[in-house]
Amino acid sequence: MAEVQAKLQALSEDYQKLQQELQAAVQSRQKLQAQRTENVGVQKEFDLLKEGESIYKLVGPVLLKQDKVEAEGTVKGRLEFIGKEVERTEQQIKEVQEKIEKKKTEIIQTQSSAQAAAQAAPSQVAAKG
Amino acid sequence: MSGQAGGGGETVNLDTLSVQQLSQVKKQLDEELEHLTSSFTQLHAAQSKFRECLRCVQQQDGKSSALQEGKQVLVPLTNSLYVKGSLSSASHVIVDVGTGFYVEKDVKSAAKFYEDKTNEIGANVKDLDSIIQGKTNNVRVIEEVLRQKMAAAPQQQAPQA
Repeated sequence: MAEVQAKLQALSEDYQKLQQELQAAVQSRQKLQAQRTENVGVQKEFDLLKEGESIYKLVGPVLLKQDKVEAEGTVKGRLEFIGKEVERTEQQIKEVQEKIEKKKTEIIQTQSSAQAAAQAAPSQVAAKG
Repeated sequence: MSGQAGGGGETVNLDTLSVQQLSQVKKQLDEELEHLTSSFTQLHAAQSKFRECLRCVQQQDGKSSALQEGKQVLVPLTNSLYVKGSLSSASHVIVDVGTGFYVEKDVKSAAKFYEDKTNEIGANVKDLDSIIQGKTNNVRVIEEVLRQKMAAAPQQQAPQA
């Protein structure tokens, strides 16, 4: 009985760890999405730029004048990078979710077999509950 | 009383769920609601910030009340230290467009920029509002079903839990 309990304990610890992993991954995806939105906004703004309007970039405490092409390139590069990161994180989320599903069935199996064992030895039921 | 959790996707008859499942769903919805409400507050804060900016660059009769050439201003060097200055150019402002980029615009297009931003956020606020309302509704329905179940089977509760 103690053996099964130890196994269940270990399983649920694993499960919790996986859940934390999932949460971290979801959070980082959210952050990436926010960054993407901001960068898309900047890109849109550059597209709407009129004649005579100039772009500055904040470098430390000063604003440096920047070429439009250069600034657009920077933003585009960032968006590409973010897109790749989002893909990677999504993949990660999927993997972790699969792992969680697997753990869940494992836990349920262990639990039901423990229950079956407990029914075979009814004196143990009280200790288990 | 077949509460259907709306919002697209599959619909589940709440009556078929157990008390445990229901409270789990409710917990999840509560978490979502909390998150959405905080986003809502943040959006509102952002909108009023943009509105304030818009007010500064908005022109009345071709003139902005805040921006006048030669106007005396105090330039903050720190939170508590200022130097005197005068506005050398009231026709152009530098606008923070995000991610460390700034664009020098004339007052008119700056006003347009902030107007667009305010409207954009306004649309988001509206969307979010309807989502929050839907979720709140769902929570209410689930609470109702949960209460009914609790009332219907209080004696079956003890062994189940």
